[in-house]
Amino acid sequence: MSYAGGTPPPAGSGVDPALPDGDRGSRILAPLRTEGVRGVTIAVLSTVVFFTAIVVAVVNSSGWTEIRGAFFDGEVFREALPKIVDRFGLNVFIFLVAEVLVLVFAMVLAILRSLVGPVFFPLRLLAAGYTDLFRALPTILVISLLGFGAPALQLEGIPTSKVFWAIVALTLVYSAYVAEVYRAGIESVHPSQVASARALGLSRRKTLRYVVLPQAVRRVIPPLLNDFIGLQKDSALVSVLGVVEGLNQATILQFENFDFTPFVALALVYVVITIPQARFVDWLIARDRRRRQGAVGV
Amino acid sequence: MRKLFVVLAATGLLFAACAEDDPTLGGDSGPTGATETGPTGTTAEASAASCAEANADAFQTAGTLTVGTGNPAFPPWWEGGESDGSEFEFNDPAKGEGYEGAVVAEVASRLGLSFPDAVSFVAVKFNESFAPGPKDFDFVIQQISYSPRRDEAVDFSESYYNVNQALVSTEGSSIAGATTVAELADAKLGAPIGTTSLEVIETVIQPSQDPAVYNDLALAVQDLKSGTIDGIIVDLPSAFFITAVQVPKGVVVGQFETESQEYFAMSFETGSSLVECVNLALQEMKADGTLDAIEQEWLADKTNAPVLT
Repeated sequence: MSYAGGTPPPAGSGVDPALPDGDRGSRILAPLRTEGVRGVTIAVLSTVVFFTAIVVAVVNSSGWTEIRGAFFDGEVFREALPKIVDRFGLNVFIFLVAEVLVLVFAMVLAILRSLVGPVFFPLRLLAAGYTDLFRALPTILVISLLGFGAPALQLEGIPTSKVFWAIVALTLVYSAYVAEVYRAGIESVHPSQVASARALGLSRRKTLRYVVLPQAVRRVIPPLLNDFIGLQKDSALVSVLGVVEGLNQATILQFENFDFTPFVALALVYVVITIPQARFVDWLIARDRRRRQGAVGV
Repeated sequence: MRKLFVVLAATGLLFAACAEDDPTLGGDSGPTGATETGPTGTTAEASAASCAEANADAFQTAGTLTVGTGNPAFPPWWEGGESDGSEFEFNDPAKGEGYEGAVVAEVASRLGLSFPDAVSFVAVKFNESFAPGPKDFDFVIQQISYSPRRDEAVDFSESYYNVNQALVSTEGSSIAGATTVAELADAKLGAPIGTTSLEVIETVIQPSQDPAVYNDLALAVQDLKSGTIDGIIVDLPSAFFITAVQVPKGVVVGQFETESQEYFAMSFETGSSLVECVNLALQEMKADGTLDAIEQEWLADKTNAPVLT
């Protein structure tokens, strides 16, 4: 693995040092390959029995009819889903814009933080203070503070759009996380790379630009995507500002029908957009591992 | 007294066969509806009380009426201020003040339960009132509007207040002087989420801008003050509360008339046999003018506003 000389990546960064090298497949299915037909048969049987038992237990519970009526009402679902998907477009807009801004802003923070030399101390301090502060604050708090606070200043030129302030808040919070991801990537580039670049006569800036960052960014793409999945889900927090996005639309339908099915419909939308991304991250990690095993001794 | 009611109820039973079921009470009136038609000079008080007596085991807690409402308890529906030791903010419902407070107190005493000793209040989030599963209240009273679709998930009482929705704005706003619905076409409007107020924006006004929705009326008021939105749609009495207390420069622009009269109803768990008893109590209160008197006392100056056409 490639974190020699740097701090380990933040938890949940997607690069798992515990994985044995060469295990390219899923950890769920892997044990089966070594156990042969008998193992697979037992696994299939126990899986069927296990899930059947769960379904039977749930369906036969005394409250199941009520639950089905309140959470899985087909009629309400059919009415709710198109409306929710329509409003979910606003979530998509919010998180896409925020993601682009986060990529840029977090990079600035990470670079500030990895500047060397005493003269840059205040900048390093600023960047470190920023990431500490915004990782400490709950996202919903930042959204509420900006969304309700900033327009209330009633200053000329300050936008009153809730969507604007929601994007600002999400960018502020997630930049702190992503800056740490970038930093882990930057610090994971072996010092010999920097030394070689300097020896070739590249300036510090050019070393960063042409040697360190390309390697660092490629390495942190999987943990970066993990953070983006988090950001996408947190776009639902914008609902506290009164913007009718997916969650508020689901809530409105819930109160209209006195039925929780719209929440299930929204949950489905999130699952449908998130799972492909999670699989994509897994695929990236696997590809990355193959490449590094191919390239001798990074 | 209790014994007398039982006797009256039993007498009434003999005549139950020839009594017409009141359609508003649902089909099966059982022993409870009978006293109404009894020839023994049954007082109005007896029917609701005997219904409660006959359905004593339907209460969540025997001998106590447990009432759910929202926390904070907003005026003018609840008044009287907070009490030490009560979880409720703004107003303590157990004081029985404010329109809904007075209605609960009156309904309880007509069910034969003394207020406030035999009445307890629990804070209920709006969506708890219709979530499946065991309930910890007998009914919820929280400015909940009846609608046929909601009626599929819960059981509603009859109307305890016929309500109109109204528009609140601020002095100097572009819509403060509006007299027609058409003038609101370009306004940025807000409403508490999940309310019929929001439906007024979407179905009656249909403005070009998306409405803002709020989990809490206080947040809507905050945005009205900061000018983020031009106006709030709320029920008329709440509109007068907002302009009187929360937004000094607020104005009630007008009220909306809808095709079918909107009304507030108490919300019960489906199948609760107490619906009938509370309906009886409400009918008695309407018949003898008590409900009007309660409205006079708590909402008298809060229902006059020009109608937006």
